Amino acid sequence: MSPSPQRFPLLLAALIGVAAIGLAVYVLRPSEAPAPAGAAPEEAASPGAGAGRPITHAQGSTVVAANLKEVVVFDLAALDTLDALGVEVQGVAGEYFPGQLAKYADAKKYPRFGTLFEPDYEAIHAARPDLVITGGRSSARYAKLSAIAPTIDQLTDDAHYLDTVVGNTERLASVFGKEERARALIESLRQAISDLKQTTAARGRGLIVLTSGGRMSAYGPGSRFGVLHEDFGIPPAAPSLKASLHGEAIGSEFILETNPDWLFVIDRDAAIGEGGGAQRLLDNELVRQTSAWKQGQVVYLDPANTYLIGGGIQSVRRLLEQISDVYAKPRQPTAP
Amino acid sequence: MSTRSPDSPPHLEAEGFARSEPAPSPAVRSRAPGATAGGALPLLAVAGLAVLVLAGVSLLIGVSHVSWDALLAPQENHRAVQVLVISRVPRTLALVLAGMSLAVAGLIMQMLARNRFVEPFTAGTAESASLGLLAVTIFAPGLPILARTAVAAGFSMAGTALFLLILRRIPLRSALVVPIVGLVLGAIFDATTTFFAYRFSLLQSLMSWTTGDFSSVLRGRYELLWGAFVLTVVAYVVADRFTVAGMGEAFTTNLGLSHPRILALGLAIVAMVTAVVVATVGMIPFIGLIVPNLVSLIVGDNARRSIPWVAVMGAGFVLVCDIAGRVVRQPYEIPVGTVAGVVGSLLFLHLLLRRDARVG
Repeated sequence: MSPSPQRFPLLLAALIGVAAIGLAVYVLRPSEAPAPAGAAPEEAASPGAGAGRPITHAQGSTVVAANLKEVVVFDLAALDTLDALGVEVQGVAGEYFPGQLAKYADAKKYPRFGTLFEPDYEAIHAARPDLVITGGRSSARYAKLSAIAPTIDQLTDDAHYLDTVVGNTERLASVFGKEERARALIESLRQAISDLKQTTAARGRGLIVLTSGGRMSAYGPGSRFGVLHEDFGIPPAAPSLKASLHGEAIGSEFILETNPDWLFVIDRDAAIGEGGGAQRLLDNELVRQTSAWKQGQVVYLDPANTYLIGGGIQSVRRLLEQISDVYAKPRQPTAP
Repeated sequence: MSTRSPDSPPHLEAEGFARSEPAPSPAVRSRAPGATAGGALPLLAVAGLAVLVLAGVSLLIGVSHVSWDALLAPQENHRAVQVLVISRVPRTLALVLAGMSLAVAGLIMQMLARNRFVEPFTAGTAESASLGLLAVTIFAPGLPILARTAVAAGFSMAGTALFLLILRRIPLRSALVVPIVGLVLGAIFDATTTFFAYRFSLLQSLMSWTTGDFSSVLRGRYELLWGAFVLTVVAYVVADRFTVAGMGEAFTTNLGLSHPRILALGLAIVAMVTAVVVATVGMIPFIGLIVPNLVSLIVGDNARRSIPWVAVMGAGFVLVCDIAGRVVRQPYEIPVGTVAGVVGSLLFLHLLLRRDARVG
């Protein structure tokens, strides 16, 4: 029943051992980042040959060749933008290519180089692409990738979402010589946004909620979904929400008390292709009392487009179109 | 440490406080040796009252404004009453039920394994429940929560049965073998779960449902926890058997009891309680480890005497953690699993160092 006395030192030793390992991992981990960071400028300076030109990006400057034959993309947003610009890529990462990116699911045509989070470094080493593009989920792998091949990292700045999308689009356009196309896309996006903005401000406050595995978290201005508030002009129902990658954990009571006129729901489980239970989660006695529910203004945003692709220029366009659609419809209470 | 008073008929001692509420019980037979035992019942009443106060505080904390004034006022009380009935009472009940049953499950586990450092989360029980939840998410994501829990309970039972099977096949030369087998089995389940979660890009979902969190508890979404409560009561009813089993297989057999049967019963209770809690609110670490250890310092190892204590303090521990998690970042929340992890690890270290010092 009771442990023998001599077991305690043993257990304590084990505990200290675990703590030491944990500490070691913690201490050793950051050393990964600084080393290649120092190598990055050197990278920018030395290779690239005469034909290249420097491209400034989120993590420095990289000399990119003028004639790109082999391009590997580790960011769905970048892939989305390249797709819109009409640029062919030769390699992608991940397994799941939703919506407008469906064609990249063909693994024969577009070889895989690992996942968005974990690049297959050996495959990249073997392929020696002319350019690797990281961003968002793969930004942390920039240092390692740039040691293998010229790499540019797309910016993710949630606080300036639209500027980021535009800047990223322009960067990719300049790398691939598609400035004309980019200008047209950006122009048209800006126009559509300013059209939408005229309707949103007067139509009530919105709350952005992400559901995942039966839990909810709320996102506000400046967050990864803050584009709805800051660029589309939807007044936030909870202005105090601070920006954070994973939002703020909330319960239904928070939604009831915030009482938004619009509830924008991102079903993370559905985004990654695993069913999803946002409707079931939200359909409860508290949320049903909100004005968003009563007016039938609970909007389930295209989850893959919003959650996975994010920041690509087509993706933002699609998000904008979805919101424009629901705002264009007259109010129609649907809740029974 | 001592196992007290197996000689006294313990069912007479503790009549009337199976619940967390303090019940007036005049008949305390404190024949047990040890200075603390005599004062245990009034102390338990105090602890029960403290938990009731915590429950009251828990009812009043939240995003909506619910105060006694608002509830008693005839007008304008509609919203407050609704929030109380739909959200607050269920949440508080869920906290109390989960805390009680997890702590008692931990106690049973420790007695059966005869090891102070065993709890459902270190014996493959919670891990297999979580594997079950993963299977549901992959194969039948649309299932209602009751069915999800049933599947998780099934997996949990299967995992625990496997645990029993292994225990029966290998020679149990040392009490340490049991928790080690549990840890190994748990690690295997965990690895399997993580592998498939990784393959199906469900790692984040896995994390969200394994982190204990009461924010989604509403009327109609927690009631399964009453099942865990019933199991806790069952545990109390058969408490003496666990006490005896805690003294070893030979001792148990000498008393004419079937050790494997007690083991099976205890592990079944533990498995079901764990599955229900994991499926409803997620994992809350350390309760099953810390609470029984703290209680054994106060009242010793007689299960019938300690189960009410463990239940009350388990409820209190979870209530405190959840209240803290709700207050710190109001109106947002910190999941109770996270708070319990921090508080629990500190308490655990304290317990370890303190006992270490005492034992020498």
